[in-house]
Amino acid sequence: MRLTLAVWAVMPSVVLGEAYLLEPDRPNIVFILADDLGYTDIAPYGSEVKTPALAALAEQGIRFGNYHTAANCAPARAMLLTGVNNHLAGVPNIPEMLAPEQRAHRNHQGVLGNNVVTVATLLEDAGYHTYLAGKWHLGATPDKRPNRRGFERTVALMDSGADNWEQKAYLPIYETANWFADGERFELPDDFYSSRFLIDKTIEFIDGNLKDARPFFAYVPFQAVHIPVQAPQLFVDRYMGVYDEGWDALREARRQRAVEIGLIPEQAGMVRMATTGDWASLSAERRRYESKRMAVYAGMIEAMDFHIGRLIDYLKSQGVYENTVFVFTSDNGAEASGPPDPNAFAASMTAGSLGYHNDYDRLGLKGSYNTISPSFASAAVSPLAFHKFYVGEGGLRVPLIVSGEPLQIRPRWTHAFAWATDIAPTLLSIAGVKHPGTRYGGRPVLPMSGRNLLPLLNDEVNRVYGEDDAVGYELTGHSALFQGDYKLVRNGAPAGDGAWHLYNIVSDPGEVIDLKETQAARFQRMLSGYERFVRENGVMPLPQGYTQSGQLVTNFLADRIRTDFVVWLLTVLVLVPFLVAYRLKTGARDRSVSERH
Amino acid sequence: MVLKIVLVLVAVLFVFMGMRWLVDPSGIAPEFGFLLGEGLGRSSQIGDFAAFFLTMGLCILLGVVNRQPIWFYPPAMLLLLAAVGRLLAWVLHDAAFAGSMIGFEVGVGLLMLAGSRWLPKSD
Repeated sequence: MRLTLAVWAVMPSVVLGEAYLLEPDRPNIVFILADDLGYTDIAPYGSEVKTPALAALAEQGIRFGNYHTAANCAPARAMLLTGVNNHLAGVPNIPEMLAPEQRAHRNHQGVLGNNVVTVATLLEDAGYHTYLAGKWHLGATPDKRPNRRGFERTVALMDSGADNWEQKAYLPIYETANWFADGERFELPDDFYSSRFLIDKTIEFIDGNLKDARPFFAYVPFQAVHIPVQAPQLFVDRYMGVYDEGWDALREARRQRAVEIGLIPEQAGMVRMATTGDWASLSAERRRYESKRMAVYAGMIEAMDFHIGRLIDYLKSQGVYENTVFVFTSDNGAEASGPPDPNAFAASMTAGSLGYHNDYDRLGLKGSYNTISPSFASAAVSPLAFHKFYVGEGGLRVPLIVSGEPLQIRPRWTHAFAWATDIAPTLLSIAGVKHPGTRYGGRPVLPMSGRNLLPLLNDEVNRVYGEDDAVGYELTGHSALFQGDYKLVRNGAPAGDGAWHLYNIVSDPGEVIDLKETQAARFQRMLSGYERFVRENGVMPLPQGYTQSGQLVTNFLADRIRTDFVVWLLTVLVLVPFLVAYRLKTGARDRSVSERH
Repeated sequence: MVLKIVLVLVAVLFVFMGMRWLVDPSGIAPEFGFLLGEGLGRSSQIGDFAAFFLTMGLCILLGVVNRQPIWFYPPAMLLLLAAVGRLLAWVLHDAAFAGSMIGFEVGVGLLMLAGSRWLPKSD
């Protein structure tokens, strides 16, 4: 009898896993990540773009006005999913831009190292179903794919981006768009549109296990609004004519709305970026074209929001919305890599080489390679300075919304500093799961450096970082250190001047008033703090003459040339014996003929 | 002489493609309209396609060097049967009609037969 009771006592934890039984009401978590979305690109942050689903989440949740992330894609994703600084987690930059000298360490390859554990792994261990539908970009080899990093069901893009309408590479460095489902190569359906497809798959994954009553963690890293900027005509049409006043007018309008809704202080200044063009000097035809480029961008954002709304409607229809926490943010600030004039020779040749066109009438539709120019990107990050790939606020400061009935949040803004590594510990805290610390699965792992934001969400504290707590960041020499309300920052060429500056980013988010002279002691202290960050996080020095775009091209050509060289070498090695045999035989025949004569 | 040069060029092309299947399979797979598979599928794709092209290339070279027409028959059979297979795939199995590929295979297959007939033979 005692044995029977013991068996019954052990059975559930053997079958279900011990952790499942601890807290039956643990919330579901939906983590939505936009790609290259600017600070004021959605309505709750002052945008003219209609995003009702996100607005509803924001109205019931907490909006972060001072949340920061990495300046580009994979480093941000590494921090978001592990809670560990991206340099330590193996992702100092995207692998496509890493110099060979920077790959000295095994865990420094631009893909997620084996020295970190993802939040998905820990949630899966704790009994959560874990799903991913969207861009991964943290490693494509079998051991690095998301199905090996804690995600139970996946449909994942391995590259830095891809076409939104079909399975097609968006840069010449890729042969195709590398999509994988549950670890195997995957061919996209013919009716693919990225935002719709990713939400369809998310719903499919959730629906497949909904009946077993286990909570789920759904990670939805959208392709929107990464280049190529593409959207269904229906959504584009809503913004035709909206941007006819140009980028300066839009940047100012968004700044005004940001002030009105309490996102930034009224006195906050705003610089005009050096990369911003002169709208007034454009011909009427070019203005019309630029306006439509931005209309497609807005349509792509609204399409993303529309499909987020579909997911929310589905969760409501299944009765699980009330037990679901939503986190929405962007991996980095708005992208400004689009050419000022996409119909100029070089830009159109690049698009043409990939089989794309830039026609006005079909802009944003299948086959179109649309982008926004640096000028409209300046409006997307309004009122901030700089953009993606730079460490100005425009590259690092993005929206963050946390919402959901299980948290019982008092809806409000918070201007407390928060950092990308804070998301993972916060998600674990919401789920009631502890990080293993320094060992996991029989191997050493790095502990999380991020802070749990739950006390901030619960109104227990006003900030999670103290006045003296420092957070550093580096991308290809662009460097920043946050401490209290201040930010030490250095943006390199071509958009930056390469010099250190000091700003109070609470009163001056636009980084207009440099304080390095008036607060020299703080400036020096923060410089020392940055050096400490470099030492403690293994930030690798840049090779002489390094540039992001140059390294991207060099890596591509080196890879391409190396491959082609090996193929040709092997071909020649096969052909040479035949050539020798041919020459011997023809020589023998010639001799035979001459002897006969 | 012209026929011999054309045959050698075709042989070099096939050897080159075979080597690409061995060295850069993910690069060449999309040119055939599919993505490189995983596991056993990847093994079959790389092994079979490399063997297909290398066999054709080497047979043509052997035919040219040895001046023996029989060496042109394997590539001719492989190419013409590949074209037939493509047509059947289109008719029976809902595959796309690969007109340009069928044209290439039939053309080069006939070229092989021409080589076997008109290239000078060994004594």
